Amino acid sequence: MIITRAPLRISFIGGGTDLPDFYHASPGRVISATINQYVYTVVNRTPLIKQVSARYSANELVNHPGELKNDRIREALLDVGITSGVEVGTFSHLPGGTGLGSSSSFAVGLIKALHLVKGVKLSASEVAEAASRLEIDLVGEPIGKQDQYAAAFGGFNIFQFNQDDSVDVTPILLDYKKKFDLESHLLLFFTGITRSASSVLTEQKSNISDKFDTLVEMASAVDQFYDLLMAGDFSGMGAMLHVHWLKKKSLAQAVSNPVIDDLYQAGIESGAWGGKVLGAGGGGCLLFLADPACHDAIRRSVQAIAHHQQLSNFNEIPVRFVQSGAEILVNTGQFMVGPTVRPQAEASHARLH
Amino acid sequence: MQDYIKGFSDQVISAISHLPVAEISKAVNILHATYERDGRIYVFGNGGSLALATHWVSDFNKTIFGHSGDGGSVRKFQAIRLPSTESELTAWANDVGYDMVFAGPLANYLRDGDTVIAISSSGNSANIIKAVELAKQHHVPVIGLSGFDGGHLNELADAKILVPTNLGEYGVVESVHGTILHLMTEYFKDYFNHIAG
Repeated sequence: MIITRAPLRISFIGGGTDLPDFYHASPGRVISATINQYVYTVVNRTPLIKQVSARYSANELVNHPGELKNDRIREALLDVGITSGVEVGTFSHLPGGTGLGSSSSFAVGLIKALHLVKGVKLSASEVAEAASRLEIDLVGEPIGKQDQYAAAFGGFNIFQFNQDDSVDVTPILLDYKKKFDLESHLLLFFTGITRSASSVLTEQKSNISDKFDTLVEMASAVDQFYDLLMAGDFSGMGAMLHVHWLKKKSLAQAVSNPVIDDLYQAGIESGAWGGKVLGAGGGGCLLFLADPACHDAIRRSVQAIAHHQQLSNFNEIPVRFVQSGAEILVNTGQFMVGPTVRPQAEASHARLH
Repeated sequence: MQDYIKGFSDQVISAISHLPVAEISKAVNILHATYERDGRIYVFGNGGSLALATHWVSDFNKTIFGHSGDGGSVRKFQAIRLPSTESELTAWANDVGYDMVFAGPLANYLRDGDTVIAISSSGNSANIIKAVELAKQHHVPVIGLSGFDGGHLNELADAKILVPTNLGEYGVVESVHGTILHLMTEYFKDYFNHIAG
């Protein structure tokens, strides 16, 4: 049996610039960090049971992976070439659709586990590329690559998506005091409204040519946000998030809605320097950067609106950053045996700094 | 005599004032990630570097948790020097070959979530490189502490902690390696004190 886990992430600036239609024209840049909320994936071979079992929010038992309804598990099994005698299960702390990149974290953990079943260990960049290929090329999601890279590498990073499809990964080196300090200024709320990234991104993708200049500005703002982060200028970072949330809202109508707007406005009126909806938008999580002295007032005001709007799953998620990317937790196969040849996946596209 | 002492201390001061800060930060991040996934740290080197590895492991395992871990509120974090006994060292050297004294024991211990710290002034010791290659083959992160021109270790390592000196300046390199290793211990001592409250 193999168990992997991959962290979820908070994306600060640059979301949307990781879509190929944009970065093929101008480099995309994203700054993000992983948090201590995980997607776990279990893969178990069953030599005496020929069927294929998938267990997630639903249970499926089929004779061939091609019959699976779960698109990621189906395409991954077919691509890796495991066609019978396997159980795949997934578990997570949070529901899907939170805007914390959970579907890509699942793709990353799944790809890592299935290659390990075949005796192949992938590096972080190989996992990120293979998971991106799974979601974008095989499943056909209209998404970018930032979440797969965030989950595979872990920690605070700047990802640059280049026109030749390569990705530059630059880790941001923060000590534990700076991380704790940032955590103590952040507030994260799950709105209880779940949505798929695809619907928002499909609209956003069709608008790329109209909004090209906005996306260029968002990509280039990553460096400024990095400088503020290194200086510990949280109010400056909050002000930037605010400006960029307004920009992001202009990218596609579905990015926000009146309930999200009310919640966000309530946070700002209670003293937040700024914030944003995480992920593609339309629901998911709301992030605020604010003086810790204002946190209780912000909590009260957004909870009042959530109550009024009958958002029964509205909840605060404590933010704790983590450094480790996707990892193998259990591998009952023998560690040192098996082929060590590279996977069929092409040589890594990522360049590390 | 004073000139001689000043000559050596100037070399050490110069090396200390040019510490590879970004690479040491990467090393600390690698260790932090290892702690999060409950991995272990394996440390090794030859001669004085093995002494540094032993010193670091005893400090790391005792100092950090001696201060903060007694209440049981903080999960432990293990560092292990390889080979862990003289018997293993001599058995591998005598029966198989000196180039296997680290890779041999490492192959017994190593798991996916672990991390390796390799210490080699030249960066070219065959037994060090063999063990590092084993770790790399499994994508286990490698923190390399080297001196001189860094050698092969500095090329292979994920965190490339090179103390650049003229060839053969073992005293300077090992002194500065000792400082860097103490820095890593202090960092985690402070961190665990912080989270233990």
